[in-house]
Amino acid sequence: MKKKLFIITLLFLVLVFLPSCSKKSDQIPNQVVIGIDSDVESLNPLFSFSGYENNISELLYLKLVQSDWDDENGSLVYSPMLAKSWKWNNDSSSIIFYLRDDVLWSDSQQVTAEDVVFSFDIYSDENIESKLYDTFNNFDLDKTKHIKIKKSFEVIDPYTLKINFKKNSIPSLIDIDLPVIPKHVYDKLDRKKFAILEKEISLVTNGPFILKSWDKNQAIVLTVNKNSFLYDSKHIEKIIFKIVPDYTSRLTQLKKGEIDFMEDIRTDDIPSLKQIDFIQLSPLPAREYDYIGWNNIDPETLKKSNKIKPNKYFGDPLVRKALTFAVNRQEIIDEYLGDFGQVSFGPVSPIFKSSFAEIKPLEYNLDSAKYYLSKAGWSDSDKDGVFDKNGLKFSFPFYITNGNPRREFASTLLKNSLISIGINIEVKKMDLQVLMPKLFAKEIDAWMLGWVVGMPLDMYVFWHSSSDASQLNFTSYNNKIVDKYLDEYKITKSEILKDELAKKIQILIYNDQPVTFLYWIQNLVAYNKRIQNLKITPLEPIHYSWNWTVNLSRLGSRAKTGK
Amino acid sequence: MNKEIILSLFKRFITSIVVLLLMLSFLFVLLRYSPGDPTQKFVSAKLSPNLVSKVKESFGLDKPVLTQYKNFLVNLTTGDLGVSYTYRESVISVIKKYLPFTIIFSLLSFLIQILLGYYLALYSIKRKGTYVDKAIQKISLSVYAVPSFVIGVLLIYVFSWKINLFPSSGLTSFNNQSSSFILQLGDYAVHMILPLITLSLGGITVFYKYLRDNLDETFNSHFVMNLRSYGISEKELIKKHIIPNSIGPMISVAGIELGILLSGALITEVIFGLPGMGRLAITAILSRDYPLIIGCTFISGVLIILSNLLADFIRAKMDKRILIGMIN
Repeated sequence: MKKKLFIITLLFLVLVFLPSCSKKSDQIPNQVVIGIDSDVESLNPLFSFSGYENNISELLYLKLVQSDWDDENGSLVYSPMLAKSWKWNNDSSSIIFYLRDDVLWSDSQQVTAEDVVFSFDIYSDENIESKLYDTFNNFDLDKTKHIKIKKSFEVIDPYTLKINFKKNSIPSLIDIDLPVIPKHVYDKLDRKKFAILEKEISLVTNGPFILKSWDKNQAIVLTVNKNSFLYDSKHIEKIIFKIVPDYTSRLTQLKKGEIDFMEDIRTDDIPSLKQIDFIQLSPLPAREYDYIGWNNIDPETLKKSNKIKPNKYFGDPLVRKALTFAVNRQEIIDEYLGDFGQVSFGPVSPIFKSSFAEIKPLEYNLDSAKYYLSKAGWSDSDKDGVFDKNGLKFSFPFYITNGNPRREFASTLLKNSLISIGINIEVKKMDLQVLMPKLFAKEIDAWMLGWVVGMPLDMYVFWHSSSDASQLNFTSYNNKIVDKYLDEYKITKSEILKDELAKKIQILIYNDQPVTFLYWIQNLVAYNKRIQNLKITPLEPIHYSWNWTVNLSRLGSRAKTGK
Repeated sequence: MNKEIILSLFKRFITSIVVLLLMLSFLFVLLRYSPGDPTQKFVSAKLSPNLVSKVKESFGLDKPVLTQYKNFLVNLTTGDLGVSYTYRESVISVIKKYLPFTIIFSLLSFLIQILLGYYLALYSIKRKGTYVDKAIQKISLSVYAVPSFVIGVLLIYVFSWKINLFPSSGLTSFNNQSSSFILQLGDYAVHMILPLITLSLGGITVFYKYLRDNLDETFNSHFVMNLRSYGISEKELIKKHIIPNSIGPMISVAGIELGILLSGALITEVIFGLPGMGRLAITAILSRDYPLIIGCTFISGVLIILSNLLADFIRAKMDKRILIGMIN
């Protein structure tokens, strides 16, 4: 027995001490470790649907032009990338790109205009089901929404490409904002089985980084591409995306210095992170907001007869205004977001400085809420404490998603406020996967959810009443003037005019209150101070990470509290 | 007798296949009628609404459920579990990436649970009624009552954060591939210590409790008293008579426990960021990846059936009465 015990102890010691030796060589300083919560599904930009898939694939594949954020004007700007310059023709119906001749694929083949044409061809092919399928509206398309390649592209020479847009379209650089993929690698694949076949091929990339390894559910390691024109020996050599699903574990590793960068920091962790001297906290300018959706149309009538009838509770803008008065948004912000939240009163984020309308939000005021309710014909006629109208009690189920403490708190607050003015709600929690189909079917009356405002600003899909193009207009909001302005916004070229239209749309939406806008949320990132040249913009923080440098004398390998 | 055993094995095999088929069919129907939509991730302000219908078409979700079920059964007979919606590759090849880790991790944990549970029970029963025995019983009960996620977080806090002895997550270090084989092995080992403790503690207490109670019962049985009266030494009595007569129920539990472990240890995998079947299954469920959910369930079902079969045969090997019962 003693002998066995001795052997077990010895084995245990060997197991512990051997790796300790290897652990020391783990400290490769010129690298950044980014903690992420889940693995990506694909690194091919054709199928990079999620945030980090996009971010990583954009470090591996170059676009013709690179978007950046102009903080002064609050808008997107484009700078040269694969294209060293470009020239629009007089009526902006075509554009000529002059490509760099010093860009190689990772298998040493040259990147040429043929690759760019092939990329547009494959992104728009219905068989591929790429993330950009059916979004090339400014190009000449066939019945299947595939770009007519011969008509749209003219390869003048290997490094000069002319793109012709559809007649009377309003193209911009957004239309060509896609990562270019290698023709010589993917051209031979059967397009009907493309999504499966491409998995069997190693990535051939042309970006500032190369994929070194991808251990499923463990880590994705990118090393710098020394052949890239973006390469600078002073910049970081490696980026590691470490997959740590548990938030607490991720945070612990950040505090230990095992992880250098982490997003979505919870506000209750701010005090402990502020005490660590090598951690920097930084909020990303807000693009995300929570809102309460009030179904503007009656779900039952829609279901039974497919007809539109105003919602029995929320069809009247006065009622929706009353409900907005009844929500104490500041209290939710104070409790959950602190300095990283801001009251919202419209669909345009304050970061879009020139498009943002300065409107005074409807402040929390229960008297005003009651006033507007009575103006809309609601009263407590039977004195039971609950408002009614034509025999209908103001009582409805209110849906929120599971696992979001902020929204749970907000819904409790809303419930209490509404009870005090004579409205009953029953808060129901639901899995997002279950709630979404109900929203698409316009089946429910009231809910709380969040949106992220796109870049560039696009309000059409959320607020236009046409059912074809505005699938995300869950409230069935319908205002013909807003529709008109949204249509104009889509076809207007002048930025000044666009800004004016955006402001008008915000004011109209504010008057109608189709939803109650709650608060803007700033995504809080925390990173090790040894990372330098990090650019915090509303775009993803790792957007320009090939420019990051690492202060080699400052290794925050162990948390030192600043007490 | 041998013919009867083979016939019994065959019967068991057929029953297992029927059980698996029924389970998968039930799951198939349940998934198709449960709320949620696998194409939901293709809905966004930036994506075209037409993409969803295209994806639905290519996943075969536009067809009636009966047609989908028929296709599923036909594919199943050829060993094709379909293509994962999430990973866009065959379910088998996705599972192949996750299963080896789960098997190694589960077997290691199982071994630890069995060995420690066994020796602890033996050590405890030999000191029956002493403070040591009582302390072990109380501690094991307390450990059993603590959920594994609490143990995991606590271990990370103490051994990773405070003492900085073990890594807090992952299976390897980033530079693992460039190290020598021995160092790679050591690197794996150091990453596995905390997850193994987290996963094994609960099981150790279960095995301990089962075995200790059975040993106690056997110690007090008439045949042991009888043997003792013949003057057989206590050591021989324990080794040859008490242990073999007490271990049966523990083997049954071991069969179930091994099956559960092989299905994936979700909580431990999530806390320590390990790439196992549990995490794969939950990701599949959350993203409504129907073929992958069915694939994971199928593998779990097979492993549970196999481990129970193994446990039954070990018991039968130890006790002929059980073998006769199985044949009958």
